[in-house]
Amino acid sequence: MAKVTIYTTPTCVYCKMTKAFFKENNVQYEEKDVSADRAAADEMIKKSGQMGVPVIDIDGQILTGFDKEGLSRLLNIT
Amino acid sequence: MQYDLIIIGSGAAGLGAALYSGRYRIKTLVIGKEFGGETAKAGTIENYPGIQAIDGYELMDAMKQQTKNLGVEVIDAEATEVKRQEHCFEVCAKKATYQTHAIIFAIGAERRRLNLPNEKELTGKGVHYCVTCDGPVYSGKTIALVGGGDASVKGAVLAAEYVNKLFLIVRGKEVTAEPINLERLKNLGDKIEVLLETEVKEIVGEKMLEKLILSREFKGSTEMVVDGLFVEIGALPNVELAKSLGVLLDEHGYIKTDAMMQTNIDGVFAAGDAVNHFGSFKQDITAAAMGAVAATSAYNDRKIHGELCEHHLRPAPTSTMQFKE
Repeated sequence: MAKVTIYTTPTCVYCKMTKAFFKENNVQYEEKDVSADRAAADEMIKKSGQMGVPVIDIDGQILTGFDKEGLSRLLNIT
Repeated sequence: MQYDLIIIGSGAAGLGAALYSGRYRIKTLVIGKEFGGETAKAGTIENYPGIQAIDGYELMDAMKQQTKNLGVEVIDAEATEVKRQEHCFEVCAKKATYQTHAIIFAIGAERRRLNLPNEKELTGKGVHYCVTCDGPVYSGKTIALVGGGDASVKGAVLAAEYVNKLFLIVRGKEVTAEPINLERLKNLGDKIEVLLETEVKEIVGEKMLEKLILSREFKGSTEMVVDGLFVEIGALPNVELAKSLGVLLDEHGYIKTDAMMQTNIDGVFAAGDAVNHFGSFKQDITAAAMGAVAATSAYNDRKIHGELCEHHLRPAPTSTMQFKE
């Protein structure tokens, strides 16, 4: 199973959409709230080179925003 | 796939329309590029009747569930083309094509940009357009927010929960927002400073935003060093798809409709932020109301013209009960 980490903020709608997508497709994930965790925010910026959320790390491959097609591809969801 | 009604857009207007079309029992598809539209990104909604306070996304999700319970199909996809087919219409998306008797354009509006050099390159790298999404990323930092309307004030109040300092940059002579939101802004105290009659002239930074150049001096300099810049300067109506079908626009570039949300084309209706029905007063309650009216017009249109088209062999819905003698 792929290791999935999502970097979020509490009020971000695209984060909610991404998490709803995970739930629909039974994807297990770790969530890091970058508004409350400075180290997680720095980690997100280092990985993605930008400051928009969500950032999703799937086995080291980085997606930004709610990218349904990209998520489906990296998680082998048809 | 054939429908009585296709609603393009899944924001407050589109789902407001779907609630009614579902109850009218006309076969309806809602196709939306970005679920929830502007409402989903609006943060907490406190001015929708009957609801004390709800997150915009949660409100949209509740509306979606309500329409799905009525048999309406809601899909996340971008309608890329709309064509006439006899007197019906064909709506094309990336993976499928749909036929319909009527269309409601509820496609909302696109956020305005500042249109400055470097703005595109630094988007996500210090320049943002969604305070509810990315504002909290700047926890403990300094940001500037451009815009003097209600959305920017709401954004400032939300961001102030996280940031250390916020500059509200307003082009006009005053901030125009709901008084309740202005009160909240004033209650933020020193955390926020409002710069009236000021514009951002330059966005400076290579890999990340470094500073802004303002149109006038602030504290002895036109340079303002901030970690983030948020742009909340309204939106432009999303009308290209409607225009491609021959729908007429008004003098402000919005879709032109009559009081019942009918456009100049028979079977084509419009609702929401792409319509100037309530002027600049663009709210969930007005968008949903326009949607309800548009769906009612589509329903009445279906009753009158529904039998004319070979694509629509289903009997038209009826609002009166028929009894056998």
